[in-house]
Amino acid sequence: MRPLGRPGLALILPLIAIFVFAVLLAFALNRMVRVADDIRVDAEHNMLWVMHQSEIAARRLVETTLRVELGEADAAEIALRLDLLRSRFALLHEGPQLRFMEEIGMRKQLTTLSQTLQAIEPPPAPVSPATAKDLRAALEPFTRFFSRAANKTMIREWDDLGGRLETARAQLRQIIASLLGITVTGAVLILTLFFSLRLSRQRTNMLRRERDFSALLVSSSGDGILAIDAGGRCTIWNDAMATMTGQPAEKAVGRKLSDIAGFFGTSHVQTALEASLCGKDRSIALQPYYRDVGEPALYVDLRFSPMLDEGRVVGAIVFMHDASDRYAARQRAAQTRGHLEQLVAERTRELDEALLRERSAADLYRNFAGMISHQFRTPLAVADSALQRLIRRGDRASTAEIVDRARGARDAIAGLTRLVASTMDATRLQTGQVGARRIACDLRDLLEGVRARQQAMAPEARIKTDHPANLNAVALCDPAHAEQVLENLMSNAVKYAPKGSAITVHLHGNATELHCDVTNDGPKIAEADRAQLFDANFRGRNSVGTRGTGVGLFIARSLARMQGGDLQLRDTDTGTSFRFTLPRYEGEK
Amino acid sequence: MRYAAFIISTCIALAGAALAVEKQVVLKVSGLIEGAPVHFTMADLRAMPTTTLETSTVVTDGVHSFTGVLLRDLLDQLEATGDVITATALNDYVVDIPRADVEEFDVIVGYSMNGVELDRADKGPLWIVYPRDGHKALQDIRYDYRWVWQLSELEIR
Repeated sequence: MRPLGRPGLALILPLIAIFVFAVLLAFALNRMVRVADDIRVDAEHNMLWVMHQSEIAARRLVETTLRVELGEADAAEIALRLDLLRSRFALLHEGPQLRFMEEIGMRKQLTTLSQTLQAIEPPPAPVSPATAKDLRAALEPFTRFFSRAANKTMIREWDDLGGRLETARAQLRQIIASLLGITVTGAVLILTLFFSLRLSRQRTNMLRRERDFSALLVSSSGDGILAIDAGGRCTIWNDAMATMTGQPAEKAVGRKLSDIAGFFGTSHVQTALEASLCGKDRSIALQPYYRDVGEPALYVDLRFSPMLDEGRVVGAIVFMHDASDRYAARQRAAQTRGHLEQLVAERTRELDEALLRERSAADLYRNFAGMISHQFRTPLAVADSALQRLIRRGDRASTAEIVDRARGARDAIAGLTRLVASTMDATRLQTGQVGARRIACDLRDLLEGVRARQQAMAPEARIKTDHPANLNAVALCDPAHAEQVLENLMSNAVKYAPKGSAITVHLHGNATELHCDVTNDGPKIAEADRAQLFDANFRGRNSVGTRGTGVGLFIARSLARMQGGDLQLRDTDTGTSFRFTLPRYEGEK
Repeated sequence: MRYAAFIISTCIALAGAALAVEKQVVLKVSGLIEGAPVHFTMADLRAMPTTTLETSTVVTDGVHSFTGVLLRDLLDQLEATGDVITATALNDYVVDIPRADVEEFDVIVGYSMNGVELDRADKGPLWIVYPRDGHKALQDIRYDYRWVWQLSELEIR
């Protein structure tokens, strides 16, 4: 995005500027110190004054000799002036002055004159004009010497001063150049600083915008977003999170997650959090989140990711997605599947039953011949023998006898017809060809009709019916089927009980059903037979010697169930008791 | 004998001369003092408390030891009241010395250097000496011109 050279240049330019700045500053300081040293004026630069004073001392001595000649001065004054001149020579012989004399090339003359001066004695008083004149003559080279020395000193000092000024000017020029350089580098530094500041402000603004944008992203996310630091304390808790958990950000930020909600303390979540703080990604799906007791759980998907800063884990971020809809959809799908499985099972059962029925029918047909041979032989033999007798008797047979034999044959044939009918009934039942047409029907009337018929067929039997006085005996049933069941039960009761024993039919009911218990005093049905009693073509051990097809109870139970009722063998201490159950009629629906 | 007589006479003359020098007036103090003008002989100055200081000078090489009288003591003794001391040398060199110099620094009126009496033919008999080495402020030409040698007169103003 950014040219690679720019940050390097941005760093190098100010560094160079700082370096140049420092060098120029040091140079300028060095030059200034030198100038400061150079502009010191020492007393040794005052040689012109020394020469002047010396010349004056010499001239005053000469003047004094003249005044002596005029009688205006005495020996003491000459001695004073001589001493003063000597003191000048003494001064000129001191180090600094002597070196200067050397420099201007007058040391030798100085020494010569000094020796001359030492030789001059102050004249004793009174001083004669001649002595004064001699002294003046001896002093003659001194004034000339000092005049010449002053001349040379002036030239020397001006040369020196000119040189020093030149040096100072050069140094000042260097200082000015350095200052200009310092100004330029300072300007570069200021510009660099300005641009750095502007760049820094731009970056700060950019960062702030990015941060605001990130915050906006986080806060407007539909998914819950939370972040924790390395210590496990919450640092971000967005609005969606607050909505999902019911905990506002103010209560969440800065606290441990497990303190915010128990959900985050569960082992699943804790394990995932620890893994993400170790730098691994984790996801867990459809975790139930209970906000409040009684409220339905929220099912959430959680995604854990570590937050890395230059390869170091500084925390973790957790996305929490409300997956309740998906959970519900999954539940519905599971229900639908269960329903489908149930439906398939039902269909399978129906198919199995149909298959079973088919097999039963096949069995029935297969067994039909055997059954015919077994059950049909006796009535056929009876009819055959009656007819044979009629043939043998021929004309000898009386009308009464013919009628008697014919009736016997007819009875046998009628029994055979019934046998065929019931066998066909069972076959129809087994192959599902019989349906029930249920209507409201008072069982008391029905029961009474059946009892009367059975009583007529077996006059010796003692059949009695009873029921509670205020019993509502209206059942929802097919009267024809119900009648057939009751007839089967009553005829069985008569058939398998000792002759003349009591047969009771007790009608009663509960809230939804009516029960009709048919009981006799006959022998108990063997334990082994009880399970198979209602199977088709099953005949119990006690049926030996009695006529029957072995399909009666099968047909009876099938009919009972077809009407929404049932037929069961009751568990009694003595005798045998069957209970026929039918649903109560509960009005039109 | 003649030589001996000459030597003796010379010695007597020299001793007399030395004695005469001691009795000569070397410093005249005038102006705002008690009983002006006051004349000092070498003997008078020697009778006063002495002070010795070591310093370099601008007209000589090396450090020298100067002995003399504190100018402050001298002025105090004379009960001087002025602020400016005008010093005059035998060669008519004149300079004004602020009284503050005397109060601030131990300025002496020296009469010997390195234990040798200052001579009129050199910088004697009296030399105003500043303690130049002891104070950076004194290493300046504006102080250097106040070092008056061959001092002969002080006027307090």
